[in-house]
Amino acid sequence: MNVTTINRTGIGAFVLFTLTAPWLLPLFVDAFWVDIYSEILIWSLLAASVNLLFGYVGLLSFGQALYFGLGMYGVAIGVEKFDLGFWPAFGFGVFLATAMAVVTGALAVRLTWHYFAIITVVFSLIFYFMALSWKPVTGGDDGMPFSIPPVFSMGDIEVSFTDPTVQYFFIVITVGLCYALLGRILQSPLGRAFATVRENDLRATLIGLNVYAIRLSAFVIAGFLAGVAGALFAFFGRYASSVYMFYHVSGEAVVWAIIGGIGTLLGPIIGTGLLIILREELSSVWEHYQILVGVIIILTVIFAPKGLGGLWARLVEHVASRSSHGGDVK
Amino acid sequence: MELVIALGLNGIVWGLIIALIALGLSIIFGLLDIINIAHGDFFMVGTVLAWAVFDVTGNYWLAFILVPVIGFGLGAVIEFLVIQPIKNAAALSIVATFGLSVILQEGVRATYGDVPNRLLPPIEGTILLFGIEYEIYRLFAAAASIIAIAGFFGFLHRTKFGTWMRAVRFDPETATAMGIPTRKIYLVTFAVGFAMAALGGVVAAPITTVDFQAGIDILPFCFMAVIIGGLGNLGGTVAAAVLLSFIEGIITSFADPTAARIASLCLMSAVLMFRPHGIFAGSMR
Repeated sequence: MNVTTINRTGIGAFVLFTLTAPWLLPLFVDAFWVDIYSEILIWSLLAASVNLLFGYVGLLSFGQALYFGLGMYGVAIGVEKFDLGFWPAFGFGVFLATAMAVVTGALAVRLTWHYFAIITVVFSLIFYFMALSWKPVTGGDDGMPFSIPPVFSMGDIEVSFTDPTVQYFFIVITVGLCYALLGRILQSPLGRAFATVRENDLRATLIGLNVYAIRLSAFVIAGFLAGVAGALFAFFGRYASSVYMFYHVSGEAVVWAIIGGIGTLLGPIIGTGLLIILREELSSVWEHYQILVGVIIILTVIFAPKGLGGLWARLVEHVASRSSHGGDVK
Repeated sequence: MELVIALGLNGIVWGLIIALIALGLSIIFGLLDIINIAHGDFFMVGTVLAWAVFDVTGNYWLAFILVPVIGFGLGAVIEFLVIQPIKNAAALSIVATFGLSVILQEGVRATYGDVPNRLLPPIEGTILLFGIEYEIYRLFAAAASIIAIAGFFGFLHRTKFGTWMRAVRFDPETATAMGIPTRKIYLVTFAVGFAMAALGGVVAAPITTVDFQAGIDILPFCFMAVIIGGLGNLGGTVAAAVLLSFIEGIITSFADPTAARIASLCLMSAVLMFRPHGIFAGSMR
C-alpha cells in the first residue's frame, strides 16, 4: 500500500460515513449525535479559515469569530428585520462577513507576525463591543432568535430545516462545497503563491509576486469561509448572539485547527471533531473538563506542533514504507 | 461635575493598577517574544489569592507580601513547564498561553467557585478631595501601584539582574556570548511578570469583584496600554495606561462605558497601523 492509497481509502470512508450518518449513527449511539456531527462540520469551517491563514499563508489570526458572528447576524437580521427568505438571508450573511474581511483585511495584512494576531483580535473586539451594546439591532448578549424560512417552497411542496434530514444534508453539501472550493484554490497557482509567501515573503516579492494582494486574497477567502460557517450555524441554532463574536471563539478555532494539523486540508475537521466530542462526552462526567482541554492544547504545542494531521501523515508513511519494504524482500 | 471628578480619579487609580499589570505583559513580550493571553488570568489569580489569604488569616495586609511571592513561584513553574519547551515554536506561543488561560480560569472555577465575591477595603472611610468624598483605600491603591512601579524600574536600572534583563532584551545572542545566564533571565522575567500581575490583583481586589472571569476584561486593556505606549517602551506603557484609563473614566461620565472601550480600541488599531512603536516613540526610551 502506498501513501496515496491509504489517504484515498481514509477520505472515502469519511465521505461514506458522512453521507450515511443520519441512519448509521442512531444504530450505535443516541440520535442527538447526528446534530453534534452537523455542528462539528459547521465549526470545522471556522477552523479551516484559521488553517488557511496560518497553515497556508503563515498569518495567525485570533479574530476569525468576527466573520463568523457577522455571518450569523446577517442571517438573523435578514430574516427578522428585513423579512428576507432563506437564500437572500444566507447570501446577506456571507456577504457581510466577506465585505468585512475585505475592509479589515486591507488594513490587517499590512502587519505580520504577532502584530497581525493582535490587530485581528482588536478588530473582532471592536465589533464585539458594538454588537453587545447595540441591543435594538443585535439583541446584545441575550441573542436574537428567529423563525427559519423554508429553503424552497413551491405550491404545497415545502423543503425546510424543520425536517432534520434536509437540515443535515444541506449542511453536509454546503460544507462539502466549501472544502472542494478550498481544495481547488490550494491546487491553483494562487495556492502555490500562498505557500511561497508563507515560506519566504521577501523571496516571493523578488520573484514578482504581489505579497500584499496574495495575503489579502487569503484573508478574504478565510473571511468568506468563516461567514458561511456563521450563516449555517445561525440556521442550525435559529438564532444569533454576540457571544459568538468574542475572542474566545476565535481562540477555540485556532486550537481546533492546530490540534487537527495546520496546513492539511482535512485537519480542521479532525481537530474540531475530536474536541467537540470530548466536550460532549466529558462535560457531563467532569464539570471542569476544560482543564484537560487546556492541558491537551499545551501538550500539542510542545510535542506535536503539526497536530493530528502531522501524526497521521507520519503514521501513513511508516506503514507505506514498511509494506513496500516487505514487497522488496519478496 | 462631582461625578466627572470621581470618575476621573477612579480612572487614574485604575490606570496605575493597569500600568503595574501591563508592565509585566510588556517585559514578557519584549524579552521572551511571547504574547501572553493568560496575563489577565495572572491578575485574576492574584485577586483570588488575596481573597484566600484574607479568608484564612483575616489579615489583608499579609496578602501584599504573600501573593506576589506565590505569583513569582507560579510564574517560575509555568515558565519551566510550558514556556521553556515552546521556545523553538514561537509562532504557537500564543496558542500555548491560550491553553494556560483556559487551565487557570477553569482551575480557579473548580477550587474557588464561580460566585463572585466582594472584599471590604482594609482601610475604610473617605477623605475630602477636590470637593468630593473619596475613598481612602483607592488613594492607597494608587500609592501602592506607584511604589511597585518605581520599585520595578529601580530593579531594572539599578541592579545587576535588571541590567542583564535589558541586555537580553536588546540582543539575546550577544548577551549569552557575554556570559549572561539567558535561560535564568527568561525564567525570572516571566516570574516577575506573573508577580506584578498578582500584586495588581491584590491592590485591585477590594475595589473590584473577585471572580474567575476577572482577567477577561483586564487583558484587552493591558494590551492597549502596551501597544499604544509602544512595545518595549516601559515608560510609555505606564503613561498610556494612566491616560487611557483616565480618558475612559471621563467618557464614562457622559456616555456608555462600551463606547469608551470602542474608542480606545480604535485608537489602538490606528497606533498599530501607523505608529507601531507607540505614540511616545522617540520621546522616551
